[in-house]
Amino acid sequence: MKPEKQALTTTSRAPKPASAGGSHSALAAELTRLLGPRRVLSNLSERLNYRYDAIQFGATPLAVVLPESTQDVITAVRAARAAGVPIVGRGAASGLSGGAAPLEPGLVISFTRMTRLSIHPERREATAQAGVVTLAVSEAARPHGLIYPPDPASLRTSTIGGNLAENAGGPLCFKYGVSGDYVRALEFVDADGGVHHLTRDAFDLAGLLIGSEGTLGLITEATLRLIPPPRFTRTLMAHFPEVGACAEAVSRAIAAGAVPSKLEFMDRACTNAVEDYLHLGLPREAEAVLLVDTDGEDLDTVQDELRLVEAACLEAGGTVRRAATDEEGAALWRARRSVSPALGRIRPQRMNEDIVVPRSALPEVVREIRALGDASPFPVVQFGHIGDGNLHPNILFDPRREDPHAVHDLAHRIALVAIRHGGVLSGEHGIGSMKREFMTDAVDPETLGALRRVKRALDPHGALNPGKILPLEEAPHAHP
Amino acid sequence: MNNDIPVQALGGQGEIMAHAVDACVHCGFCLPACPTYALLGDEMDSPRGRIVLMKEVLEGQLPLMDAAPHLDRCLGCQACVTACPSGVPYGELITAFRGWSEPQRDRSVFDRAKRWAILKALPAPKVFSVAARAGQFAKPLAPALPAALRGPLDLLPERVPALQPSPAFTPSQGPRRGRVAFLVGCAQQALAPNFNAATLRVLSRNGIEVVIPEGQGCCGAAALHTGAREEALKLVRANLNAFQPEEFDAILSNAAGCGAGLKEYPAVLHGESDEARARAFAAKVMDISEYLNALLQSGDLAPPMPARRPLNVAYHDACHLAHAQGVRAAPRALLRAIPGVSVLEVPEGDLCCGSAGTYNLEQPELAGQLGQRKAQNILSTTPDLIASGNIGCHTQIQSHVRRQGSPVPVMHTIEVLDLAYRGEL
Ligand SMILES: Cc1cc2nc3c(=O)[nH]c(=O)nc-3n(C[C@H](O)[C@H](O)[C@H](O)COP(=O)(O)OP(=O)(O)OC[C@H]3O[C@@H](n4cnc5c(N)ncnc54)[C@H](O)[C@@H]3O)c2cc1C
Ligand code: SF4
Ligand code: SF4
Repeated sequence: MKPEKQALTTTSRAPKPASAGGSHSALAAELTRLLGPRRVLSNLSERLNYRYDAIQFGATPLAVVLPESTQDVITAVRAARAAGVPIVGRGAASGLSGGAAPLEPGLVISFTRMTRLSIHPERREATAQAGVVTLAVSEAARPHGLIYPPDPASLRTSTIGGNLAENAGGPLCFKYGVSGDYVRALEFVDADGGVHHLTRDAFDLAGLLIGSEGTLGLITEATLRLIPPPRFTRTLMAHFPEVGACAEAVSRAIAAGAVPSKLEFMDRACTNAVEDYLHLGLPREAEAVLLVDTDGEDLDTVQDELRLVEAACLEAGGTVRRAATDEEGAALWRARRSVSPALGRIRPQRMNEDIVVPRSALPEVVREIRALGDASPFPVVQFGHIGDGNLHPNILFDPRREDPHAVHDLAHRIALVAIRHGGVLSGEHGIGSMKREFMTDAVDPETLGALRRVKRALDPHGALNPGKILPLEEAPHAHP
Repeated sequence: MNNDIPVQALGGQGEIMAHAVDACVHCGFCLPACPTYALLGDEMDSPRGRIVLMKEVLEGQLPLMDAAPHLDRCLGCQACVTACPSGVPYGELITAFRGWSEPQRDRSVFDRAKRWAILKALPAPKVFSVAARAGQFAKPLAPALPAALRGPLDLLPERVPALQPSPAFTPSQGPRRGRVAFLVGCAQQALAPNFNAATLRVLSRNGIEVVIPEGQGCCGAAALHTGAREEALKLVRANLNAFQPEEFDAILSNAAGCGAGLKEYPAVLHGESDEARARAFAAKVMDISEYLNALLQSGDLAPPMPARRPLNVAYHDACHLAHAQGVRAAPRALLRAIPGVSVLEVPEGDLCCGSAGTYNLEQPELAGQLGQRKAQNILSTTPDLIASGNIGCHTQIQSHVRRQGSPVPVMHTIEVLDLAYRGEL
């Protein structure tokens, strides 16, 4: 395990420079008195760095606390409540919906120093503080013959607290489920600074906290379920002349009884972007590329499942390539993993959508989104976890030359396509502030009312991450 | 990242900085790679945080001296460059930024004297050698000295060797297969003269003749990375004049930091009259391990003699080799080419050892923590030998390995190969 984070002593000997908007808000002073200077950031240079996540910049916080224990969190929450300012929880700020970017100046509580982690192999459990990096759980568990399966692409960076707040998923989620499925117990601090220990029975309040994006409480610690890793994994890549054929192949394979561990889809624009970047020999003409892993304890079963997938792909008119070795499998997955950098080379920025639609609707949805993209000035590429219909249409743009409102507008139209086909707004990245306005399209007024009552019950003063998830009540949003 | 950096006003280096900031999508993928983030756990001491700080300063939103403490803690190890999926050239950004910001800083007299001494001594082997010997005598006084002086003294070897002159020309043994120019390096000549001696022997043994062009000097990396841009430009131009790239198959360095520095010349001179010359020069620069590995891969490397007993060699990736130059496979392949040698991978291998140029002098506390962590990680593999391709890492690792009470030898990759050729491994 990594050593605890350490404070600087000698090198921070120089007095902290005062500056415009400087260090002297009453809140920062009070927090420093309560928690000491090492856990409180108040300089402008420090605060400026806690206003963004991976998608958006927000308001500069008045103060930042880097807690080392649940007690620190309680102290910070009480001080912020007394000062009447909002509180935003923050993990690694790898979020893609603006969740950790404050909408108004307040207190940011960043969990990156709460990294205590213990493995209990006899119970197949890990106890992790909120700031533990996701991958670290599996790394610590592996010597005991166990792993923690939730695998967002950000697993080397993102924290358990952030993952649970977003209910993060990943390629493995088709077979193994999402972050929330691995939670046995949660500790959280509420808006008044009270601590709660939740299990999954009675009212599943833990379930409510999961996916709540820091709007109902601050997760400080979680007890996570671990599983033994599969002994065997096999990989194939298939490509199709048409997206519908790809979706059909997936449905057939699942109907035939295969439960692949990963089922990932890339559309033609995406395949070509990766090919331009890496020259892996991917099929440029294919409308859809499918990557599949089957895994398990027993090699014969794993092979059988792969054969079922292969047969389904061939029947649907696809062309199949099996990986002969683990290295070849890894090479095939390299294509999927390289999507992000490949897209970064086309345009510096992208708006990463995260819709989920029924698999039967997928061909139509992909086609409609493609048409929207073609009619717009922006390159639009699509990829995602096709097993559960989770699509990531990405709008690529250059903020220096292109209009962010037009990007937002296109994102909204894409969201509406998903909703029209019976889908939802977010598979794994959350609603945050990015998709907050689309909520009125996606959720009926009664349900929205229920969500608001839940929010009021747990956070009566609206102090926790205001401006996220729930759209404003007064001003209903007008749509194009 | 959206920004309003006044590129026009900043010139060629401004373009480089604005391009890097543009390319960053603030995804945070670089955070786990960063040694200072690993120690401190705050955003300002992470690559993404530093990019934001530089952007704010360049835009005029934040006073330079507010951002400076965090930027000064950056080791320049470029682990973030390896980790970044968007290809952000962080190394170019921080180098350009340091060059731009240094003239605007107010530093204490002590600080300035220290920087002056470093910048004068490092590039001048004779001065450095004298200083190192003086330091050697000061070693017993170390406990009484301030930390800033204790750090460098700790790093000095027990005995500072005599300065050895380098031959201007080394012929090839047997038929000539290649002709290279060699950069002899600065501090390395004083602290570890055997690195160069071994390099010349190994090249010659492989039929390569080696020229050490007159008039060459320090690569300029130390000056560049501490922001002394004018000093650095002088050194860069001197080297461009000394080396005629068209006369050689390659221009070789056996110090990762210097090699990376030489490869940076085009960025340093971006937008200036010598840019094209810098490109031609940099295109020929290779690390010694890259060059020898090319021979190995084409079956042309003279076979080393087997080690006298099976040897477990822990290979340490120097940041300026692995991250800045992307050279990882070559040194490992060379070590494995010695029969009887197995190469061990070090846990947290990508984390900097804390030496990073002048870091031991500027940030002794963090440097010490990283050095200790590195030594523990290396020793956890229970190696018979530790190999690396950079003088800075070498002294840092040696000092921290000794401090942990371990006698395991620390060598340059090329020294290991040289011993194998002589049947003494
Ligand atoms: C390139 C890239 C790839 C990605 N791939 C995936 C993927 O495959 N699957 C996926 O699901 N996501 C993915 N993400 C999105 C992101 O990584 C996840 O949402 C992740 O779970 C966020 O974790 P974090 O620690 O960075 O949280 P942050 O971004 O810091 O915060 C996210 C939200 O959680 C809240 N929060 C953070 N910590 C706490 C806490 N302790 N208590 C209460 N609330 C808290 C914040 O207020 C915010 O609303 C990706 C992101 C990037 C940049
Ligand atoms: S990984 Fe690259 S793009 Fe992402 S924050 Fe770091 S530097 Fe920026
Ligand atoms: S160069 Fe090294 S120390 Fe500096 S930001 Fe990058 S990873 Fe961190």
